[in-house]
Amino acid sequence: MEAEFPALVSARLGDRVAAVEVFPGTLGRVRFRADAALDVFRSMRDDLAFDHLSMIGGIDWVDHREVFYVLWSDARRAYVILSTDLPAENPHIESATCIWPAANWHERETWEMVDIHFDHHPDLRHLLMPDGYVFHPLLRSFKLHEPEELEVKTRNV
Amino acid sequence: MSEMWINMGPQHPMTHGLWNLRVHVDGEMVLDVDPEMGYLHRGIEKISEDRHYNEVVTLMDRCCYVAGLAWEHLYILSAEQALGIRPPERAEWIRMMSEEFQRLGSHLMWYAAFVQDIGLMAPFLYGMRDRDLVLDLFQSYTGARMTYEYMRVGGVRNDLPNGFTDQARKVCDWLIDRFEEYDRLCLASAIFHKRCDGLGKMSRADCVAYGVTGPMLRSAGSKRDLRKDRPYSAYDRVEFDAATADGADVTARYLVRMEEMRQSVRIIRQALDWLDKNPGPVMAARVPRWLGAPYAPIGNEGYLLKRNYPKGLGLSAIEEPHGEAQAYIVNDGGEHPYRVKFRSPVFANISAAKKYLVGYRIADIPPIMGSVDVCVGECDR
Repeated sequence: MEAEFPALVSARLGDRVAAVEVFPGTLGRVRFRADAALDVFRSMRDDLAFDHLSMIGGIDWVDHREVFYVLWSDARRAYVILSTDLPAENPHIESATCIWPAANWHERETWEMVDIHFDHHPDLRHLLMPDGYVFHPLLRSFKLHEPEELEVKTRNV
Repeated sequence: MSEMWINMGPQHPMTHGLWNLRVHVDGEMVLDVDPEMGYLHRGIEKISEDRHYNEVVTLMDRCCYVAGLAWEHLYILSAEQALGIRPPERAEWIRMMSEEFQRLGSHLMWYAAFVQDIGLMAPFLYGMRDRDLVLDLFQSYTGARMTYEYMRVGGVRNDLPNGFTDQARKVCDWLIDRFEEYDRLCLASAIFHKRCDGLGKMSRADCVAYGVTGPMLRSAGSKRDLRKDRPYSAYDRVEFDAATADGADVTARYLVRMEEMRQSVRIIRQALDWLDKNPGPVMAARVPRWLGAPYAPIGNEGYLLKRNYPKGLGLSAIEEPHGEAQAYIVNDGGEHPYRVKFRSPVFANISAAKKYLVGYRIADIPPIMGSVDVCVGECDR
C-alpha cells in the first residue's frame, strides 16, 4: 500500500498537492497548498479514510511558518503527515474543526504557541497560557532567559 | 437563578493534578463544561529547543510523572529516527519491558485514585502498595523511583543488574494474583456499580472524531492499539491481546485497564525470558559524543565537533498508558532539536469532555473524570 499511496493522493487531490515526500514509518508527508486546505482535509477524511486527526503542530522557520497535521487511518493502519508552508507575515489557514472536531484544542495551542491563525475556528482563545498573554512562546524570536520582560508586556484583561 | 457556572478545581479532589473544570449547572445537572488547562505548563517543547538531544530525556520524566519511562521511550524513538541512529536489540527489549512495567505502575496508580474517588477506601491502599513493588524494580535498574533518566539516544544507560529478572518475575506473580483481588473488591461491590455503570458514555464514532484514544477508545469496542497496529521496539515479537470492552462507560474503562494490566504481565514475562537468554550490548557502538550522553561510549567525534551531520525528521507514536502519544522532532543538523512537538493522549481525551460529561450530574463527574485517567503533566507539558 505504501508504494501506491503517492499516486492515489495525486489522483484524488490533483494540483492541490505539491508533492508526497517519503517519511519512514508513515505513508508519506503530503505537501499541500494552503489555500485548498479544506478540500484537502475533506478528501483525506472521506476519500482516503483518514478519519482520525492525531495532532497539529506549527514550526517557525523564521522566514516562513510550517503547519503540520498527523492523521491516522484505522482502515489503512497507517499515519500520514500533511504539511504546508505559510508566510511569516500574517500566517493563517482554514480551521479543520468542521472536518475533525479533535482539531479544536490542537489549533488553539498552535495559535497561541506559534501564532498561526485558524480561520473560522469556533473558539480560538488561549489554552495553556493565561488570557491576555501577548507572546507566542514557540516562535524563534521568543528567547529564553528574559523573564523580566514578561512582567511589563502582559496586559490586563 | 438555578443555572450557574462553578469551578471544580484547580484545588479539587476530582482533578488529580492541577487543572480546572468549569461546569455550567442547572441544579444537579451538568449543562456544559469548559476545562481550563495550563496550570502545569512548563514549556517543555520550548526548553527542548535549548538542549542537547539526550538532555531532553530529563524533561520527559517530568512530562508524565506516573509514566516517565513511557515518555522517554516515545521521545527516544523519535529522536533516533531524526538522527538516524539504531539501538541494539537488547536495548529495544529492555525499553519494551520498561514501558510495560510503567503501564502497570500507571494503571495501579489510576486504580488507587479512581476507586477512592467512588468511595472505596481500602483498594486505594492496595493499589499504592502494589505500585511500590514496580517502583522498587525501577529503582534497582534506573536508580530512581520517579525521574529515571534511563534511556539514551542509541540505547539505554545501563544493563539490568544481576538477579533482576528473578525479582521481576516474583513481582509479576504477585501482581497477577492481586488483580483477581481487585476485581473482587470492585466488581462485587454494589457501590462501585451504582457509581459507574452507564456513566460517561462515549461512542466509538465520537471517540474517533474527537481524537480520544487509549483505554477510552478501546472501552467503546475498538481494538485499536498501536502496539498491535503499528508495532515498535519488540512488540511484534511478543504475544498479547489488545484489551477491549463494549460498554463505552466508566465500568468498561475499568475492565479494559484491568485486562491491560494482565496483558502487560504477559508481555513482561516473555521479555524477561528473552533478556535472560540474550545478553549483549545495550548501547549502540558508535554514538556521537555531542548528543550529551555522559554515560555513553564515546565515539570519534568530540564535543562541539559536529560536522555535516544528516538532517532529518522523526515521528514516533506509542501506546502510552493513557492512550496514543506522539513525538515529532525536526533535526536541522544543529546540536539541539529545532522543534519538538508532543501529542499527549490526555490532552485530546480532556478536550472531548463535553461529549462525556454533559447530561450527567455533578456527583457523576468524579467517577467519569477518574475513568479518563488524567495526568496533567503530560497534558500541559
